[in-house]
Amino acid sequence: MNAALDRLYLACIWTAGAAIVAMSTIVPWGVFTRYVLGTGSRWPEPVAILLMMVFTFIGAAAAYRAGAHIGVSMFTERLPDSMQRAAARLVDALMAVVCLFVAWYGARLSAETMGQSIAELPWLPVGVTYLPIPVGAVATLVFVAERAISGPQAHREIVRFGEAS
Amino acid sequence: MDAAVLLGSFFLLMMVGMPIAYAMGLAALLAALWIELPLDAVMIQLAAGVNKFSLLAIPFFVLAGAIMAEGGMSRRLVAFAGVLVGFIRGGLSLVNILASTFFGAISGSSVADTASIGSVLIPEMEKKGYPRPFAAAVTVSGSVQAILIPPSHNAVIYSLAAGGTVSIAALFMAGVLPGLLMGLVLAILCLVIARRENYPKGERIPLKQALKITVDAMWGLMTMVIILGGILSGVFTANESASIAVLWAFFVTMFIYRDYKWRDLPRLVHRTVKTVTIVMILIGFAAAFGYLMTLMQIPLKATTFFTEVSKDPLVILALINVMLLVLGCLMDMSPLILILTPILLPVVKLIGVDPVHFGMIMMVNLGIGLITPPVGTVLFVGAAVSKLKIGVVTRAMLPFFAALFVVLMMVTYLPWLSLALPRAMGL
Repeated sequence: MNAALDRLYLACIWTAGAAIVAMSTIVPWGVFTRYVLGTGSRWPEPVAILLMMVFTFIGAAAAYRAGAHIGVSMFTERLPDSMQRAAARLVDALMAVVCLFVAWYGARLSAETMGQSIAELPWLPVGVTYLPIPVGAVATLVFVAERAISGPQAHREIVRFGEAS
Repeated sequence: MDAAVLLGSFFLLMMVGMPIAYAMGLAALLAALWIELPLDAVMIQLAAGVNKFSLLAIPFFVLAGAIMAEGGMSRRLVAFAGVLVGFIRGGLSLVNILASTFFGAISGSSVADTASIGSVLIPEMEKKGYPRPFAAAVTVSGSVQAILIPPSHNAVIYSLAAGGTVSIAALFMAGVLPGLLMGLVLAILCLVIARRENYPKGERIPLKQALKITVDAMWGLMTMVIILGGILSGVFTANESASIAVLWAFFVTMFIYRDYKWRDLPRLVHRTVKTVTIVMILIGFAAAFGYLMTLMQIPLKATTFFTEVSKDPLVILALINVMLLVLGCLMDMSPLILILTPILLPVVKLIGVDPVHFGMIMMVNLGIGLITPPVGTVLFVGAAVSKLKIGVVTRAMLPFFAALFVVLMMVTYLPWLSLALPRAMGL
């Protein structure tokens, strides 16, 4: 189980990582075609936006497992242990609610816009650019469940990736 | 009552320890249920919040800064600052401040500034006879410059939160003078302390070596020239210049400096995913949250509230400063920019404050918040890098807080500091 979740984590990291690397080459390519080739392609913009959606929503799932999201801990950390555990369980439940909402309504939004195409790129349905939203939300939900069952994973070597936690 | 559901639930969710981004999302959801808004509308705002071309500049600027911070850039900027001011009494403290000024010109991240300059200079300063708490205090306070000096991804976030009515180019240029002023005020404070404590002078660096150090640093500082030159001349958009900065940073690090190993790159990507996606998703949820704030007329209510307290712009600005300082001490910078800009911008516009100027006021306030307990990300990093207790660093920072407060007052009440440059360039 743990190994499968680690694989999911790495898949999220490297999907998002590949997306940002691709974004950083596509946008300069647009500049190159405009000034050097004089053609000014229109595809870099919508493709870069699609990659940014992938980067954001898939990457944020991994960031959740890595405990990277900013939160306020100054009140909960002053609570007695039992209350701290209760607060952590409550947060898990609330996170699950948000993830379920984003997964369900994100999937609906994506499905509804599959018929529309992007002006600059007729073969690319708008729905595809929204697809990373529900996919990322489901991955986050999996990590929320993992945290509720097996506790935080942020300290583990595979999540830290050679850095101090 | 509507406002209480949205803001109250957000506050409660945050207090139980929910990550801020998701707390905003859930609060927006609860508020939408409360006013019987279809949840699809919330989803559309969330999706549209990220599905925006103008957002691309944020990951690019952060990535370019991260590549250069780790790729040996900070060491070279420190060396270059050493050539310029190292020989003065208290030289290394001035080097620290000036290195942060340069660092601000390649990255907008105070955290990266403190981590990379601190790890080079804090041990060095201690070796030369400066107390470690002082060295840490200088590093942490100096890093606030990075937020003001362009390129600053927080300025991009502000431009976004202002609904795209404030141009990124104008905000970048507006940050130059306040950023330099902050560096100057901090440097003067360091000079005074150095004289009183009789801190050592450094040596003058021989011309030949100085030239080599300067050329070395220029490769990195070219980044700012590319970014500002590209944006101001209209050759590149902000996104394009940011993406070219990434390529340039990569080129300089891998082929000119060659400190960074190819096998270290996956770690850099891994870290970038973790640090940048949290800001991006925050922006998405903040868009949904902001949409509900507007529906509930919270910005309008805030304006009424402030103008009922006082009609005097100076008083209202003072009130806003206090509010920003307090909130800045409790919360991180990017969520505050995203939440407060739509609320406060109508207020300050009404009293005749330019949105570009207000952006600078906000940056300085929230920047001070980053180095102030109880929640001060940069302060925590500074304490970790110097291996000191947060309390010890904070105590050493007291004179620096006073200096930064002087800068805040000047930026707040002297609008031309922020506006002279962008106006002169017709932005």
